[in-house]
Amino acid sequence: MRLIIVIVSFCLFLLTTPGFAAKVEISAPGQQTIPLAITQLLPIEGGAQPEIAREIHDVLTWDLDLSGLFSMIDPDSFLSDAQRLGLTSSAVDFSQWRLLGAECLIKGGYRLAGDQLTMDVRLFDINGRRLLYGRTYRGKRKDLRLMAHAFADQILKSLTGTAGPFNSSLAFISNKSGRKELYLMEVDGFRPVRITDHRSIVLNPDFSPVGKDLLFTSYKAGNPDLYRKEIYSGQEARISSQKGLNIAARYRRDGRELALTLSRDGNAEIYLMGTDGTIHQRLTDNWGIDVDPSWSPTGEEIAFVSDRQGNPNVFIVKVLSGEVRRLTFEGKYNATPAWNPKGDRIAFSRMEDGRFDIYTIRPDGSDERRLTFGAGSKEHPRWSPDGRFIIYSSDEDGKKAIYVMRADGTGSRRLTPPSLGECSHPAWSASWL
Amino acid sequence: MKRLMILALAGLFLMTAAGCAKKTAAPISSMTDTTPVVTDMPSRDISGIDEPSISGSAVMDDSAMGGSSDLYGAQGLARIQFDFDQYTLTAEARDTLAANAAYLKANPSKQIMIEGHCDERGSDEYNLALGEKRAAAARDYLVSLGVPANRMTIISYGEEIPLDPTSSEEAWAQNRRAEFKERN
Repeated sequence: MRLIIVIVSFCLFLLTTPGFAAKVEISAPGQQTIPLAITQLLPIEGGAQPEIAREIHDVLTWDLDLSGLFSMIDPDSFLSDAQRLGLTSSAVDFSQWRLLGAECLIKGGYRLAGDQLTMDVRLFDINGRRLLYGRTYRGKRKDLRLMAHAFADQILKSLTGTAGPFNSSLAFISNKSGRKELYLMEVDGFRPVRITDHRSIVLNPDFSPVGKDLLFTSYKAGNPDLYRKEIYSGQEARISSQKGLNIAARYRRDGRELALTLSRDGNAEIYLMGTDGTIHQRLTDNWGIDVDPSWSPTGEEIAFVSDRQGNPNVFIVKVLSGEVRRLTFEGKYNATPAWNPKGDRIAFSRMEDGRFDIYTIRPDGSDERRLTFGAGSKEHPRWSPDGRFIIYSSDEDGKKAIYVMRADGTGSRRLTPPSLGECSHPAWSASWL
Repeated sequence: MKRLMILALAGLFLMTAAGCAKKTAAPISSMTDTTPVVTDMPSRDISGIDEPSISGSAVMDDSAMGGSSDLYGAQGLARIQFDFDQYTLTAEARDTLAANAAYLKANPSKQIMIEGHCDERGSDEYNLALGEKRAAAARDYLVSLGVPANRMTIISYGEEIPLDPTSSEEAWAQNRRAEFKERN
């Protein structure tokens, strides 16, 4: 009798283990990827617009390839079902796709009426012969790429539980105009647009996590002051012009406070400041240089750079108590810390022989991993809002440019072209939708 | 008989359990084939600035920053150099500062701006702070030589305005400097 209870309990236990909730973590290369077939969308009615279908396909392929989750089935091998609209699972010939080894399938249709574009998109599970995700996106023709990015975000959410970051914006500094100014671009490097005209030196942007604005430092008024700029209205305000440095401002995750470096008291220290520029609190009190704050996602701690013990290293300060501990002990020069949104890793750059490379480490100082290798200097890592990716600047191609890679260091690709001059200081916005 | 039945049931459970635990990525959600939700994309019109067709070089135009790039600030104030990652004054720097102090004492109405600069190595933000320390060290030494502090202001440009934008030891040594610009 007892044996039966044991057996039945064991089986019940197996039944309840979440086979459905198997999350796919993007980790080391060599991890099993999902074979994915991305078809070109077909016209729902009216004439075909191959450029639309091709562009959507390009966006989805780039995003989903970067995710590291998938291996792409070669579109040249697609069979006749790729030419059928297939907006419901009953309209899809799953056996064709199983022949190609696909496990997931993207299909859909589009309709262009004037400058209004509608995308009707589907993600299918081949083995289960069913629809996993479907949505209709409507917008202007010019926002086609954003719609495709939004769909890619939802594909990742369907399969892993966490939405992707592809429908968001990147900010960076470029000297293309002859001066360092602030630019925005899409996550895949498309449509860069300049948003400042200070004709001076603009540095170090940070997006608000809640509003549609950016902080940055500019010498426009003859001093490194802190500015805030609204992205849509373009309105700008100088919010901090303390004597000396007003640099490297970073929003706290709730958007209600910022950390930055001021030197008004004669030495570079980390301060907390309101979004109106009111100084709330001086956080560090040390003869050394204290710069480069990065908030933990809880807002309880801030990682920063200090030379208080000799060479620059990354330290962590507890906001409430002011207690400081040292994070980096390897190498001789560690800087530009960036705390990831999950809170379990801090990225930073280490300089060796005059060149930087990017590392990550746990907040307790353990498990340090090097992410970048080879020629060039890689600095200023910043995380995507979902914590999957890191953007950074690298001069491996001669001049500084913005690159993106996965959080494990794989999949790096260049985002800014040579025509944009020297690009640095990237920042990643929250997702827009 | 009963035991056999229960064992058979258990076996059945086992098989279904094994079938449920999928090997590869089993998805979180699945949907029925109902009419999907519609998302209207908000229009994202960013206030951009039209790029003028500047065919300029990417090198900073130093004159726009209010100074010349002659060895001397236009009116006889020489710059000083620093060692890597240092803001302490070398003996040579002190000699130059002594000469600068003499000039300033001889021209008591002159107000100056002291700029602190770094070479391109190292983190931008750290270099902004280091540049400021260099300018402050120069200012403090001039004060100790009798130049009133209220005639001098300091500013740091970090690694943003190199004298020599190339990447060599010579260029770097040139760029690690404090410059003295007359403001009147």
